[in-house]
Amino acid sequence: MTNQRASISRRSFLRSSTLAGGGMMISFSWLSELTLADKINVPGLPDQWNEINGYIKITPDNIIKILNPNPEFGQNVMTSLPMIVAEELDADWQQVVVEMGPHDSVKLGPQFTGGSNSTRMYWKPLREAGATARRMLMDAAAQTWNVPAEEVTTKEGNVYHEKSGRSGKYGDFASKASGLAIPKGVKLKDPNDFRIVRNSKKNVEGLKIVTGKPLFGLDYKHEGMLIAMIEHPPAIGMKLKTFDASQTLKMPGIKDVFTIKMFDEDFELGGFDTRTFNDLLVVVGNNTWEVMNARKKLVVQWEPAPERKEKTNNFGRKQDIIIPAGLESSESQYQKMQERAKEPATVLRKDGDPESAFKNAARIIERTYNGPFLAHNCMEPINFFAHVTNEKALLVGPLQAPGWTEPTLSKVLKLPPEKIEIQMTRMGGGFGRRAYGHYLVEAALISRYINAPIKLIYSREDDMTYGIYRPMYTATYRAALDANKNLIAFHVKGGGLPEHPIHANRFPAGSVDNYLAEGWEIPTNITIGAFRAPRSNFNAAAEQSFLDELAEEMGKDPIEFRLELLQRAKENPVGKNNEYDADRYAGVLKLVRDKSGWNKPENKKYNRGVAAYFCHNSYAAHVVDMVDRDEQPYVERVFSAIDCGIVVNPDAATNMVQGAVVDGIGNSLYGGLTHKDGVAQQNNFSRYRIIRFHEAPKKIEVHFVPNDIDPTGLGEPPFPPVFGAVSNALYKSTGKRFYSQPYANDMINKKAF
Amino acid sequence: MNHPSEKKLHYFLHLKVIVLIAVILTVVVLTTSAFKDSKTVMDIAVYKNAVTDSTESAEAFLQVYKVLMSPRCMNCHPAGDEPLQGDESKVHTMKVQRGKDGKGVYAAKCSNCHQPENTPGLHTPPGNPKWSLPPADMKMVFQGRTSHQLALQIMDYNRNGHKNKKQLLAHARDTLVKAAWNMGEGRKPPPLSYEAFLKAWDTWIQKGGYAPK
Amino acid sequence: MITLTINQKNYEVDVNPDMPLLWVLRDVIGLVGTKYGCGVAQCGACVVHLNGEAVRSCVTKVKRAQGGKITTIEGLSEKNDHPLQKAWIELDVPQCGYCQSGQLMSAAVLLRENPDPSDEDIDAAMAGNICRCGTYLRIRKAIHLAADMQRKVNRT
Repeated sequence: MTNQRASISRRSFLRSSTLAGGGMMISFSWLSELTLADKINVPGLPDQWNEINGYIKITPDNIIKILNPNPEFGQNVMTSLPMIVAEELDADWQQVVVEMGPHDSVKLGPQFTGGSNSTRMYWKPLREAGATARRMLMDAAAQTWNVPAEEVTTKEGNVYHEKSGRSGKYGDFASKASGLAIPKGVKLKDPNDFRIVRNSKKNVEGLKIVTGKPLFGLDYKHEGMLIAMIEHPPAIGMKLKTFDASQTLKMPGIKDVFTIKMFDEDFELGGFDTRTFNDLLVVVGNNTWEVMNARKKLVVQWEPAPERKEKTNNFGRKQDIIIPAGLESSESQYQKMQERAKEPATVLRKDGDPESAFKNAARIIERTYNGPFLAHNCMEPINFFAHVTNEKALLVGPLQAPGWTEPTLSKVLKLPPEKIEIQMTRMGGGFGRRAYGHYLVEAALISRYINAPIKLIYSREDDMTYGIYRPMYTATYRAALDANKNLIAFHVKGGGLPEHPIHANRFPAGSVDNYLAEGWEIPTNITIGAFRAPRSNFNAAAEQSFLDELAEEMGKDPIEFRLELLQRAKENPVGKNNEYDADRYAGVLKLVRDKSGWNKPENKKYNRGVAAYFCHNSYAAHVVDMVDRDEQPYVERVFSAIDCGIVVNPDAATNMVQGAVVDGIGNSLYGGLTHKDGVAQQNNFSRYRIIRFHEAPKKIEVHFVPNDIDPTGLGEPPFPPVFGAVSNALYKSTGKRFYSQPYANDMINKKAF
Repeated sequence: MNHPSEKKLHYFLHLKVIVLIAVILTVVVLTTSAFKDSKTVMDIAVYKNAVTDSTESAEAFLQVYKVLMSPRCMNCHPAGDEPLQGDESKVHTMKVQRGKDGKGVYAAKCSNCHQPENTPGLHTPPGNPKWSLPPADMKMVFQGRTSHQLALQIMDYNRNGHKNKKQLLAHARDTLVKAAWNMGEGRKPPPLSYEAFLKAWDTWIQKGGYAPK
Repeated sequence: MITLTINQKNYEVDVNPDMPLLWVLRDVIGLVGTKYGCGVAQCGACVVHLNGEAVRSCVTKVKRAQGGKITTIEGLSEKNDHPLQKAWIELDVPQCGYCQSGQLMSAAVLLRENPDPSDEDIDAAMAGNICRCGTYLRIRKAIHLAADMQRKVNRT
């Protein structure tokens, strides 16, 4: 897959109107020159952007309301996106109130949280929104004061005319501004003049969070709302045969038990219409606990689901996919993968003559790496509210991409999109899981069937065993060295269930003369989906462990070895389409080397591992410092270097990097979802180990490369290289290389499960 | 205000005392290791008429030992200060600590999760109103003990929670002990039935409380 | 009818005595600050105080709470000014925020019982609360900060 940049000509227009009681509402709408590299990280992103706009409302008493367009799942967009508007508006941040925007792709753009794209895709549009509004307020003041517009200045929500000594608040001119012609091509600030952006602002919802205010989908209440739960088949590969609900219906508070079908046979699935089960057995009742209890009384017969063909239309890419029948087990899946890996695969990229180079090599190093399915395990289990009638639908809850689910709802409910209102609540985590809106479709169909407002709730067990996991991957890396231990060829062959993880055009592609990347896939009925830095989260573990081992075999320092390769990629790149910028890649490695005191003798007491990776247009490197604690390797501290361009909200960005590091340590050591005859072997946190408080490092020092590059991704990029750094540090701790995740499975001293 | 140095000194003294006690106890144990005269630690009044039988007693203890070393009993009688968990007797997740009174510490007290009764469902916290570990000053460790060591320990008034023979017999009827057989979903019961355990326990004690070799 | 005292207010609820306190709080009384995360006492999102102890409301049957004193996140402080809440804001601890009410309720017991907790004390108190976003470092820092604040208040 190539990494094309989608570019569309810019066409902007802007509306303004007077607010009731005075003041200004200014709405910006445009097709913007957005670029989207790294499309493969959010499979099936639309090539064409919807209109994006931002909303600014200014009241006469100078309250500035900024709408946040994008769903919030902890990445801080509720705060950092409005900061961008406020910056160019030259607003007083203290006067700003933030509100979550409605789902309105015409007014607010793509509105998806995923692919580490929130800040990146909204950066320019939101700046323009702020700058244009500021210009209009200045023009309004100039006209009021009868002074030349060029002489008017602003500062923190005030307008000034220095010569005449006049000044006023934005609120004073808001109504007048709303009647002015809309200026075009307003100049944006020089990044050096930023005073809101690049300055840490506290989470605008912080107080609500620490005082337990209703914020999340699970907290949403609606008059007459019933609770619905779905009894899923106990195994992936099974389906509903018959059921007896007589006992369930006798339980207190139970309204109904019924079945619904999600999609018709010939339904064309959109890119994010993944669902594990199509025939749903539903219990509806008055409250959650009553429904949970009554559900246990169902007597259900399940039967094997046959092989099925799915018609898919992944944002224009039409494809029929065969979903195999059968009850799969991790062990047999693993064996299948090992066998398949020996067969020929699709060539994804080839530079030079790798076959000859391997034939003539003085030494070949070959290692195979494995990664299991991973469950997202968002803290807030899957849920959604729906109230669907024949005329309209209201849906409220946690969702990453309303624009991808709405067309599906429209088709299933046979309602036009304008009759479907989706409200987005704050999400209790997402990690990619909530890009798959099957649960909205389920909730909507349940509401329509029972003719009442309902909230669909997944128990933790439902959530963990439902599917839509990080795929199961494997990759074999080979390196050819000549007699002088120079790297002359590099080969990666990766595969997985049901997709391979290989990014063929990423480092070390471009730095080795003879290079070969291949991929293969095995179909499975275990459903998969995007999981924080899809594919990268496996590659960075495998590739970065391999490079570490390679450096050791070559007698080189692991950082210097990578820098040498990057130097080559910069000066004399091999092949075309290299996705990464060698300088920025080297930049994070150098920064982390310096900040961690990589070669300083005082750090010898640590078992240190390093890794770096590029994804979502950003660069991340970590040095992980391990010690032995209670006879177990423990990551005591981590140094991180990130290049994601301009950092909008530094402290929040630091928080997210620290979180990604903790998540990376946890998932690399403990993460894994296994199956036996289609049954998930982990169904709650009692069996699926999540990193806990005492297992997190004491210190994670985060350094951002200072530059004026427009912001690139941050939610995902710091995550993948943690895996590699942990594995490399484990080698230093134990003298043993780790090839299979989760790494704790291979540890000798396993204290806690 | 805390003075860390004083605190440390305090602990150090404690440690000294503990070591001293341990040495004394070891001496006591060694001198009674033949276990000819269990009367020294038992309430003779109750069983003065019982016929002791070293073979039968020791054999009964081997049955008892199987139960005590099963996860259902041993998990709360760990060698360290963190309880064990599950059929594999792994260290309890969440870094749960014994605490002074054996009931956990701070936000991690046993009864915060372990209810008066079992919580329904697979691998959910088993419950009992008394759910706890032995206290810090009387740890009654099972983990790692041989049958010989454990028998001596249980018979030792100073290491068994200050129980005399009558109290030991009663202890097997304690609801917390009995809770081992009400283990909740996803856990194996002890290898003997509760009745068989009681019988073996009583036999062991009544026939003289002998320690297997 | 079961009588409950929650955040110093009395409630009469007509529910099955076996219903977990969590669902009584959320679905019956409407106090939704206490979160459902796992339902089996594994994650700590549902921690409330029952007679001062950080019980997991998802496994605590409402009958156990009858006659007891319950405090939820909504009642942790009168003016949203518990040192922990202030420290949480000061250090901008939350990411998604879902687990944080449980984290705060656990930390509050720690701080009450130990006004000067060490890192080890914090580990022992907090290892039962999962944060999937990985804000553990900030939680640790915020607990230390809240302890400082609490000491300063007590000194004056």
